[in-house]
Amino acid sequence: MKNFAIRYGTFVASCLLFVALAIAAPNFLSTGNLTNIVKHITFLAVLALGFSIALTTAELDLSFANVCSVASVSVGWLIHNDYPVWLAVGTGLTVGLAAGLLNGVLVTVLKIPSLIATLATASIANGFAFMITQGVAFVGAWNPSFLWIGRGTIGGIPTLVLWLTILMAAAFFLLKFTVTGLRMLSVGQAAEAARLAGISVPRMKLLGLTISGLAAGIAAVLMTSNLASAAPNSAGDFMLMSIAAVLLGMTMFEPGRPNVPGTLCGALTIGILGNGLVLLGAQYYMQDIALGVLMVASVAVSSTFLKRAALSV
Amino acid sequence: MTTRRAIIQSAGAAVALAQFGARAQSRFNLAIIGFQMSSETHARVANAAEAAAKGKGWSAQVLNSKGEMPTHIAQFDTLIQNKVDAIIVAMGKPVEAEAQFKKAKDAGIPVVTVMSGSSPHAAFDIAVNEYSVGARAAIYLMDQLGYRGNILTQRFEGNTATRIRGKVLDAVLSENAAVKQVGTHTMARTASWRDDVRAGMSALLLRNQGTVDGIWASFDGQAYIIDDLLQQTAGAARGKPALVSVDGGPETYRRIADPKSFLQATVAIPFERMGTEAIHVVERIAIRKEAPGAINAGPYIYMPSELVDKTNVAQYLKK
Repeated sequence: MKNFAIRYGTFVASCLLFVALAIAAPNFLSTGNLTNIVKHITFLAVLALGFSIALTTAELDLSFANVCSVASVSVGWLIHNDYPVWLAVGTGLTVGLAAGLLNGVLVTVLKIPSLIATLATASIANGFAFMITQGVAFVGAWNPSFLWIGRGTIGGIPTLVLWLTILMAAAFFLLKFTVTGLRMLSVGQAAEAARLAGISVPRMKLLGLTISGLAAGIAAVLMTSNLASAAPNSAGDFMLMSIAAVLLGMTMFEPGRPNVPGTLCGALTIGILGNGLVLLGAQYYMQDIALGVLMVASVAVSSTFLKRAALSV
Repeated sequence: MTTRRAIIQSAGAAVALAQFGARAQSRFNLAIIGFQMSSETHARVANAAEAAAKGKGWSAQVLNSKGEMPTHIAQFDTLIQNKVDAIIVAMGKPVEAEAQFKKAKDAGIPVVTVMSGSSPHAAFDIAVNEYSVGARAAIYLMDQLGYRGNILTQRFEGNTATRIRGKVLDAVLSENAAVKQVGTHTMARTASWRDDVRAGMSALLLRNQGTVDGIWASFDGQAYIIDDLLQQTAGAARGKPALVSVDGGPETYRRIADPKSFLQATVAIPFERMGTEAIHVVERIAIRKEAPGAINAGPYIYMPSELVDKTNVAQYLKK
């Protein structure tokens, strides 16, 4: 029972929140609303996924939101200057990948702590985003083929939901069923032991940070396509939300460790809470308070269980 | 203990939530979206609209998009799902969120915007004529300088209104060649913009020490920071450089009346009146069922703006 509470306590609490909102909030369970929730958490979940993979190797990436914004305006600039969709999408992904690679090199080659290196990258990305846009968002007419990426449907299922599913499955497979994934986990849990076992610690950290950057690039393409706009600060709000989703996720399934199902559930919980409070008519400040309370409660409950478990060993 | 108590507590919470939700459903349900509630002007519009709505006995829910389009769009989608009776958007982005505006219109939910720009899917935009506002501020500054001298400008390109004001200033400067813009700083950051303005203007003031006759700021929040910087500068005297900006509000009026302040004038935009006007328009459309064409001919409902300086600031301080 104790083990169940440790692993699934936050998940069960999230499910109870879902049930409570289903009872209380009008239209919460409508298909349209549930689809909206999943669509709207896609960007958050993809960014959180990247952050959690970097965190798996015990590195912090605090640049992902700004990298996402600069990748988004790069895509916007290319589409608005009539470049082909494939080039715009490729550039968005490349910008993310390059930023992640830069973070990786700064951390593993120049030995700059990731907290500082990624903050520097965030600042550079922010500067480039404003340089490209001059502060003015790209809006107006967009190539319909590009818009399909984030707004289309396949068999009635929104493409965003499909992208999210594919990305989550790929990340889960990487971390659970590949040698590389297991090595990344080993590096995150005990870098020295991993080094002694012959694992290249810098290479795994470089990979973790690069994947985080790539995730920011993917989120940028999906977000720009779905919103049909690209602003220099379009992903700014996702910074804290994504970290919150990962932290919530670390309290479930594999407590104390970033994990893919947990990150998805964390993002869903944040999305459900925000959506439900709007449906209930709550004022805007209540949403921030509720999110904060939820995070503190989840982490407090889980850490209590973890402490008890540690003491009982 | 825990499982049973948790179930009871959850059930209690669900009942409380249900009662809360039911209460919200029983009256005319208005949602007000402030695009960036940490911005004073957005909050002034939203708060005034909320107060006016509650004065009519309506339920008014205020949401904050935190300046982020994804949040803005998610809130719109959720409100449409919730079938609110009307939506007011303060300083929103109807072009970027066109799909959501259209969805609201298709769902029969009237949307009234404030200082957001027009949209074919919104009933009206309540606005001031920013071209006129920009011209009044720019001309006032020229008047103070006697149409010659050096000026610094503090700009913000990320907002339509402040961008227009800057462009109008440029037009005025192009016709008055004896007034030289010796330095300009454009606010890049949004979350930490105060620090950005402080850093940028400190550098410009230092570089142009003693040679600046006037400073133009694109909105009052920037002017407060510049005014504080000038007041901390030894040797600076009231009147030079003359500081002019746009927006209005109690703090602005206090500074204009303060002999130590460098802020000489603002063009006061009636944000509170805009909020209450938005409620008035919603009432006419959603409750009295008046056709939009009977309310106003075009997509903009313009509100008057007024130049406030030391000659008339007393009447604003009383308000």
